[in-house]
Amino acid sequence: MKEPFARWFAGAWAVFEKDLRLELRNRHAAGMLLMFVPASILLIFFAAGQEPLSPRIQAGLLWIVILFAASIGLGRSFVSEADRDTALFLRMHARASMVYAGKLLFNFLLILALDVVAVLTMMLLLHLQVAHGGLLASAILLGSLGLAGAATLLAALIAQAATRGPLLPVLLFPLLVPLLLSAATATRHALEGGDGWGASAESLTTLTAFAGVAITAATLLFDFIWND
Amino acid sequence: MTIHPIQEADTTNAAPYDTIWTSQEVPVQPPDALERTMLAQDKLYVVLAVVLIIWIGLAAFVLRTDRKIDRLERKLDASISQETSPE
Amino acid sequence: MPVSGKTYRRIRNIVLAWLTLVALAGFLLDIPRINILEHTARNLYFHVPMWFTMMAAFFVSAWRSGQYLRSRDPLRDTQALEAARVGAAFGVLGLATGVVWARFTWYVGQGIWWNFDPKQTMAAVQLLIYGAYFTLRSSVEEPEKRGRIAAVYNLFAAACVPFLLYALPRQMESLHPGAEGNPAFSDITHPTMRVVFYAAVVGFIGLFWVFYTQRVRLAILKERIEDAFRT
Repeated sequence: MKEPFARWFAGAWAVFEKDLRLELRNRHAAGMLLMFVPASILLIFFAAGQEPLSPRIQAGLLWIVILFAASIGLGRSFVSEADRDTALFLRMHARASMVYAGKLLFNFLLILALDVVAVLTMMLLLHLQVAHGGLLASAILLGSLGLAGAATLLAALIAQAATRGPLLPVLLFPLLVPLLLSAATATRHALEGGDGWGASAESLTTLTAFAGVAITAATLLFDFIWND
Repeated sequence: MTIHPIQEADTTNAAPYDTIWTSQEVPVQPPDALERTMLAQDKLYVVLAVVLIIWIGLAAFVLRTDRKIDRLERKLDASISQETSPE
Repeated sequence: MPVSGKTYRRIRNIVLAWLTLVALAGFLLDIPRINILEHTARNLYFHVPMWFTMMAAFFVSAWRSGQYLRSRDPLRDTQALEAARVGAAFGVLGLATGVVWARFTWYVGQGIWWNFDPKQTMAAVQLLIYGAYFTLRSSVEEPEKRGRIAAVYNLFAAACVPFLLYALPRQMESLHPGAEGNPAFSDITHPTMRVVFYAAVVGFIGLFWVFYTQRVRLAILKERIEDAFRT
């Protein structure tokens, strides 16, 4: 029983390691996100002016930035595979669920890096004040997990479509409405202070359930995209 | 140039997506012409509008299906005339 | 294969007669007067079934997508697409009628047409998902691949949508019956109204079935004609 699981895990890890090594070599996604996030937050600052923003607006803006950055950055995670004709090679050596798990892990870490950059930039430029650090971290962690789960599957879909450009946001955003609502609420409670954990328990439950359902459904459905 | 002091809005007790109808002082405008028409007859015209929207929408849907049939017929005619012509 | 011939015609005639009776009953039967709503309570028979029909269509579409992934029968893909198309049409009608109804009851004197009511938002998001589904389909040329990709998206959307039902009412206030603080649906409706309402729901879902079957038959016919003249 243990042997197949260890082999599966090793396969998934190999996919993840390959992506990570490629990323470390050319820093394509990381470099782009590192530019996109501060630039968009700077634009918010210019557009909103000097007026201090309420925690609700700050939480909403933070998630909008994360969502847009992720939908731009993750759209390429399977397209590059098709461009370099490595998809066939990967298909021969790894099962679909391994590929999904490896890609998911890589995308999740990419989104986490993006989150850290976004939060730090917002603290610096928009005076984001965090009352509950732990709550903010868990909201971002759970929200990013659901986001990565959905975006990884849809990125694989789009890699097969003919027009790859702006399709990911169109497909992704309607599905992520419940995630955005819950994540923004939990983030707002984390910024506002008071009884943050109690007030956002429901939102955190929704985020956890959403991530679980999205990843389970994506794992089941990924088979149909990966193996023609 | 005058610098206006910033007014901090009190948002501690507000619900997300503040709804206009829950606040106590709703600015009620005098009914305009549209409202006077629609509210007559115990608002029966609202029901009429709703039924008309559904009727027009369903009719438009049927017309679209019809157009699909038309296109198919034209295609069929064109293919048949192509096949029967000697060239 | 879709139902055709005699059975189809019989069901279609029943549905049309049924909806005629529903419309007559909806206007002629006496209803209790409720403040603000007044006669517009009759919209219950016309506006609300749009939602039931849209959700039924969404369910049929997801079901057909699942069947397509299992069997790879092109018919299943066509059925999923047509169910989504008819469902989207009913969704647009539900949204339009809801906006008109709310404008002259809830928002009278305020001049607003749109407010972020949970059910309204839910419908708008559902229509966006339909839109994304159609956009995705139009971006793939090859039929087999298009069917597969669209089916995967459809099923994934079906997994995500239930969260809307849970998350939205907790974020926004609703004026719909049954929401927090509002009387439940059964409290404000007369037994007669409920009978007509359920009849209307059945009738409109029947109408969905008629449209859906029509369009699936048409799509199959188109496929056959194109095949016949290609060879």
